[in-house]
Amino acid sequence: MSPELLRVDRLQKRFGSFTALDDVSLEVLPGTVHALLGENGAGKSTLVKCIMGYHRPDHGQVWLGDREIAPRSPRDAQKLGIGMVYQHFTLVPNMTVAENLVLSRARLPFFLDWAKEHRHLEEFLATMPFQVDLRSPVRSLAAGEKQKVEILKQLYLKSRIVILDEPTSVLTPAEADEILGLLHQMARANEVSLIIITHKFREVTQFADEVTVLRRGKRVGGGSVKDLTPAAMAEMMIGAAPRSESGPPRASTAGDVRLRASLLSADDDLGLPSLNDVTFEVRSGEIVGIAAVAGNGQEELVEVLAGQRQSRAGRVVVRDVEYRGTRAALRRYKVRCLPEEPLRNACVPTMSVADNMAFRSFDEKPFAVARLGLSRRAIVRRAERLIGEYRVSTPSPDARIGQLSGGNVQRAVLARELEGDVEVLVAANPCMGLDFAAVAEIHARLRRARDVGTAVLLVSADLDEIFALADRVLVMSEGRIVHETTPATADMRTVGQFMAGHAIEA
Amino acid sequence: MGRSLEKAIIPVAALAVSLVLFGAFVAAAGANPLDVYYDMYRGGFGTWFSFQNTLQRAAPLMLTALCALIPAHLGLIVIGGEGALLLGALGAVLAGRALGSAPPILAATFMMVAGAAVGGVWVALSGAMRTLRGVNETISSLLLNYIAIALFNHLVEGPLRDPVSLNKPSTFPIADAATIGNIPGMDVHWGLVFGLLACGLSYFLVMHSVHGFAARMIGGNVRAAALSGIDVARLTIVLCFVAGASAGIAGAVEVGAVQHTANATLIAGYGYTGVLVAFLARQHPLAAIPVSLLLGGINASGGLLQRTEHLPDATVKVLQGILFVVILASETLYGRYDWKILGRAAERKSAAVVPHAEPLAPAAGAEPTQVKGVA
Amino acid sequence: MSAALVTVPLAIVGGALRVSAPFLFVSLGECVTEKSGRVNLGLEGTLVMGAMAGFGVAHATGSPWLGVLVAGGVGAVFGLLHAWLCSLPRVNDIAVGIALMVLGTGLAFFLGKPLIKPTAPQLPALELGGWSDVQAVRAALRINLLLLAGVALAFALRILFDRTKVGLIVRTVGESADAARALGYNVTRVRTLATAAGGFLAGVGGSFLSLYYPGSWNEGLSSGQGLMGVALVIFSRWDPVRCLYASLLFGGAGALGPALQAVGITTGYYLFGAAPYVLTLAIMLGTSSARRTLAGMPAELGTAR
Repeated sequence: MSPELLRVDRLQKRFGSFTALDDVSLEVLPGTVHALLGENGAGKSTLVKCIMGYHRPDHGQVWLGDREIAPRSPRDAQKLGIGMVYQHFTLVPNMTVAENLVLSRARLPFFLDWAKEHRHLEEFLATMPFQVDLRSPVRSLAAGEKQKVEILKQLYLKSRIVILDEPTSVLTPAEADEILGLLHQMARANEVSLIIITHKFREVTQFADEVTVLRRGKRVGGGSVKDLTPAAMAEMMIGAAPRSESGPPRASTAGDVRLRASLLSADDDLGLPSLNDVTFEVRSGEIVGIAAVAGNGQEELVEVLAGQRQSRAGRVVVRDVEYRGTRAALRRYKVRCLPEEPLRNACVPTMSVADNMAFRSFDEKPFAVARLGLSRRAIVRRAERLIGEYRVSTPSPDARIGQLSGGNVQRAVLARELEGDVEVLVAANPCMGLDFAAVAEIHARLRRARDVGTAVLLVSADLDEIFALADRVLVMSEGRIVHETTPATADMRTVGQFMAGHAIEA
Repeated sequence: MGRSLEKAIIPVAALAVSLVLFGAFVAAAGANPLDVYYDMYRGGFGTWFSFQNTLQRAAPLMLTALCALIPAHLGLIVIGGEGALLLGALGAVLAGRALGSAPPILAATFMMVAGAAVGGVWVALSGAMRTLRGVNETISSLLLNYIAIALFNHLVEGPLRDPVSLNKPSTFPIADAATIGNIPGMDVHWGLVFGLLACGLSYFLVMHSVHGFAARMIGGNVRAAALSGIDVARLTIVLCFVAGASAGIAGAVEVGAVQHTANATLIAGYGYTGVLVAFLARQHPLAAIPVSLLLGGINASGGLLQRTEHLPDATVKVLQGILFVVILASETLYGRYDWKILGRAAERKSAAVVPHAEPLAPAAGAEPTQVKGVA
Repeated sequence: MSAALVTVPLAIVGGALRVSAPFLFVSLGECVTEKSGRVNLGLEGTLVMGAMAGFGVAHATGSPWLGVLVAGGVGAVFGLLHAWLCSLPRVNDIAVGIALMVLGTGLAFFLGKPLIKPTAPQLPALELGGWSDVQAVRAALRINLLLLAGVALAFALRILFDRTKVGLIVRTVGESADAARALGYNVTRVRTLATAAGGFLAGVGGSFLSLYYPGSWNEGLSSGQGLMGVALVIFSRWDPVRCLYASLLFGGAGALGPALQAVGITTGYYLFGAAPYVLTLAIMLGTSSARRTLAGMPAELGTAR
């Protein structure tokens, strides 16, 4: 059965006083790849969730073929043949691939004959272009394999319209090409229609037939991809011609070594080795970027450097002294950290903005009185100054930081971490989920820190970000540093291969 | 402003609802709710005599409440006050016997210190097990309670037993010099003052000290605390020690001021009632004072209820249970309603408290965060 | 002396068979609840309420099995109350458990006042030791039918979780509420049913105490069995059949004190009585780890701990 036409007609959705979708229409022709382009917060997720039945739109309709549909849950949408591959996987980590696939079926018998189910699954897999081990628990799969399982799930359920949310954010360039290419072929063969949510122009131009551009909840443009240039699409996306990202060239060459990791090893939450003999150094006045696909140990590396995880072996050395992340060491060696997902890792959501900004210094004068009491007033006063300086948008310094938007939380954390002299700065995915303006602002601050002599370690899954900012690039795969290069001399295909763990150092 | 208003209104409303439910309960049991309310008032607060009785019962509650309240700010739910109290009492008895010839103030102080030390260690065990080995502190503190009761009974009826006490096994009594007397002009012992002091000091510690700030960081988000270099293990164990010390002092006071010996009368559930006080006071050390008075009054009126309304002593426990449940359920009301009707502009209420709602823009585009190991 | 060598192990075996039933039912009930991702610490109160209700109904109607059924029903109601409270936003699961523990015991003591003196018909038992002339052997091998039901239930639950659609759904809700929601399952409803089922089983376990051993109602009937059930589930790594073995172990440990007393060893009586608690604590210490999440633990429980 081939896919039908999917039409969205003047959809509107509000959350309280915020309008997420305003009169949005689009059409996905059968057997085509339709890209949804837009910044973070433009409404792409909301639109797709309305199609999938997560949300009921306030106005407008969704049509499949010649019938109007109104799914009330993802399960309803699945029964209609519409499925979604999520950015944050909806697989159950502690179950096997087979269990996850079986689980997703709409109709299950009361007694499950696992032997029979496995047989059916193996028959199904034989017809698929890529393979996975049915018996492995999902938590032990790499991000790319999880993505493949999610896609297989949709094919297993015989979805005719598949929505992919940022499908390549966790894949190496080679994997991304492989998977998107395969899906494109299936669309060509009129087996599926695809909607791809993305903010990468390359994917749009290479794989999509049509594109719809959203900005602030409205459709601001679109059409056939072959008629549009990336520059035109970018302009629609952000409402102005994009500024080039590159900042002024580095003022001076790097200085002495500030941060060194030697044979650092650590385990993850399940006790499996995650960091294996990681060795690198960062000098003052340089930004070292670590490029890695999610799940290759870089999260654990940042946690070890931040003092949130104990290492199993090896050392971290700051200025020739072994560093253990104690408060005294943090203060003496001026080590700061910007972890990813700041609300989850660097803030107490129920405490005020002012309190959160005081985490580094609440036990020092003038915030601490006689090393015991707290001076609320001093804390609030300092917070007011930082809020102005970093343009954190908050109703008051006493507002709970959990109420702020993602960009403002990150600004608040930046304000705290960049205060005073910073000798070593560790930043992990600092711009995830933020709009372009915030991204540019944060990148500028990182560069400025580098220029005044801070040693900056930037861990990121976004290759564009790494290559825009870093002076040296390290590639991490399976818990090891496997490749080193610079933006000027890098060969993207080689980098991609190392990230996937495929290439051998020549 | 809306937030502080609701902090006052909601607990009072919860109290009222509990009383109504309790009234329905006693009515179903055949008693007149209005009579019961009046008896409770009379038995707890009606006369100077009954009020002093209430004060005397409130004193240990203030101390055992702190045993649950202080770790709560670390994000831990510790209910080990019962065990800490009992073992603290034993420690106090040993100290009280040893210092027969010392000046009274010294002897009494030493007893308090001994009780605090033993109780402190007992609860610190739970804290250590939680922070070093990930053992759930509620379960471990409850298990330690049962173990403490067993140890207590064993020692009271065995090695520490006073052969004179045949009917009700008790330890040797403490020396006369070590007893704690009454506050001048009242029929209430000094334990009340210790309780008030402890609540005051805890207030300063938790809300206005550097250590309390660090503790609240741990309780709010331990990852953020670790990121800031806070020594989570050390602070957890120290604060659990302080919590246990408080309950241990309660035990020492019971020995020093009331019983002058240690026996099974001490196993009276003060520890668990203290947990209830802590929750009713929403973990605020100063609020624990009036709440202790309230619960002390309810307990004090138990005898009167038995005599005049012929209700069993478990009635008080039922009221405590109702109070506990209603207060917990009322937690859900905070942050939900706009108190604009009282003429104040509402704070920017986020959707964060409404379940499964979309977060405010512009984060609306981002997917919810997921577990480790996933992009 | 030789008598002691025989009597004590025999008493332990007998204890294991006799005393383990409440442990078994409570741990199986909590296992079901925790598999769905929720912790119910209020089972102590549920157990006591079940004991009282079962006793009362058996006394009034003359049928112990009806008492068991009603005890289960009362337990289910407490489970529903727990589930409803926990479904309210911002309410802490663990605190709710403690609150229901207090309420359950208070209600049970209040309503059970008139039941302290009377007797009620007891649950029947199988005399597996009929071949022996020795009283002690006969006593040890007297197996209660409820225990047998519990044994069958343990195996049935394992099959339920491993091989049925219901078990798969419960496991999914317990491992990842997000995934379950994405698949269209009502997480709250599944957890409510699981908690109610857990309460039912805990109530049944309580009825064992009042209708078989010790066989009467009084306020000292339970000594933490409800809570130890939670620890047993952790020890058994959330597997129903391992819960069975662990319950037998604990039953045996609990019989140590009285057994030694029977042969004249009275010192340390209380200390032996503390053996199950110490054992539980040791097990938790041994199986928990600060750095790693426990293998076999339903992932959604991590938020409650």
